[in-house]
Amino acid sequence: MSEQFTRRDLLHQAARGTVLATMGGGAGFLVRKAHGQVVWQVDAARCLNSRLGEVGVEACNLCTTKCVVALSAVRAVNEHSRCGRCNICPAYFNITSAVDARGLPSEKLCPRDAITRKPIGKADPEDPANNFYEYLIDEEKCDGCGKCVMQCKEPLGLGSIILRIRYNRCVDCNRCAISTACPKDALIQVPVEKALT
Amino acid sequence: MQYRQVAVIGGKGAGPGQFGASLRAIAVDARGNIYAANDSQITVFDAAGRLRRRWSTSQPVHSVAVAGDGAVYTGQIRQIEIFDGAGKLVHTWRDDALLGRVTAIGFVDGDVLAGDATGRAIRRFDAGGRFRNNIGRDNPLNGLLIPNGVVDFGVDAHGIVHAANPGKHRVERYTPAGELLGHIGHFHGTDPAGFGGCCNPTNVAVRDRIYVTEKAGPRAKVYSFSGELEAVIAADVFDANCKNMSIAVDRRGRVYIGDTVKLTIFVFEPVAI
Repeated sequence: MSEQFTRRDLLHQAARGTVLATMGGGAGFLVRKAHGQVVWQVDAARCLNSRLGEVGVEACNLCTTKCVVALSAVRAVNEHSRCGRCNICPAYFNITSAVDARGLPSEKLCPRDAITRKPIGKADPEDPANNFYEYLIDEEKCDGCGKCVMQCKEPLGLGSIILRIRYNRCVDCNRCAISTACPKDALIQVPVEKALT
Repeated sequence: MQYRQVAVIGGKGAGPGQFGASLRAIAVDARGNIYAANDSQITVFDAAGRLRRRWSTSQPVHSVAVAGDGAVYTGQIRQIEIFDGAGKLVHTWRDDALLGRVTAIGFVDGDVLAGDATGRAIRRFDAGGRFRNNIGRDNPLNGLLIPNGVVDFGVDAHGIVHAANPGKHRVERYTPAGELLGHIGHFHGTDPAGFGGCCNPTNVAVRDRIYVTEKAGPRAKVYSFSGELEAVIAADVFDANCKNMSIAVDRRGRVYIGDTVKLTIFVFEPVAI
């Protein structure tokens, strides 16, 4: 099979590399992979924590417990364009914990305190409920346990938080331990050019 | 106060009186006829739940309301289509700026109110379709917070507009001119008297009381105008995945709730204790 590399291919690869390089370490790692190689990816439509229709069940944490990499090669990311920027975010707060004097849940959900938030735009000092918030997930703290993903999905949330592979941590096992354990076959292999970071 | 389920209307399917893909809104007229906004049509049932008629709208319909003269207002994207009671199109109001996705319609003092989920506001028009003012647009800062994507409201007998503000876990009271008067409701994750989750209540109806629906887990409740929880109408009957369940109340106190997954209208009535 001919593997001719045209100028168009070169420009495409260069542009793609520039985009990915600006997206952080995980994306930068992908640049070094050859075009056509496959990488592991979490299929959000299959993942128990994010797929629609799975309500009232405990979050699955196999991505944390089965991965051979310390802290797991899987992390949660918040797709900000889909986020509702809620005052009481079920992925940020433990929404069934006691309500404090400000009217907010008194406990956070993340066991590693990996999610932080800050008001967007002009904050209302007299009414904390009257604000939008940006939610950020600290990649260095997140171990991909999936609790926030489960709480964010429809209909409770908008499904903006999903699990993704950290390609700068993933060691690319031929037989990924998570994929072997995953009850929903949500770990799939995709060509590197289609990998989501 | 307690409620019991007394009827089921519609259901998912292609048969007469069934709903194909969506059930986004319901309304009840003065005679107790029930109007369902489903897919791109209006389906009308009589008070006993029998199919009476249906007609198509030009776009998918997101809201429905019946005026005192029997005219049927249907909210769509960037427009409101107005039909007579027989389903004949009488007027179309189009407005790219003030009508985004129209998820609620109501009436006050001869004017028409349209819940614009795109603009996160209630738009007030006169009877001829001329814009008068916004309600809830700047309340006082960020407008209606609707991560659920629906603006919904009801109007009481005194002309006060009660709007769901799910991001704040409140039902807010406004004058027709847009002045915020106050609110009922607060967040609570376990107490039924509170509103749980990220954003509840999603939908509201007003008659002698304030009736609301919530999502995740779906339930319907009744509050006094001063904010006391009077009853949980129902919870378990609804599909766990449904949200933005439209709610309507007739003059007998019957409550109609549209399950958006089962595509079914559940009917409840208060039980004398």
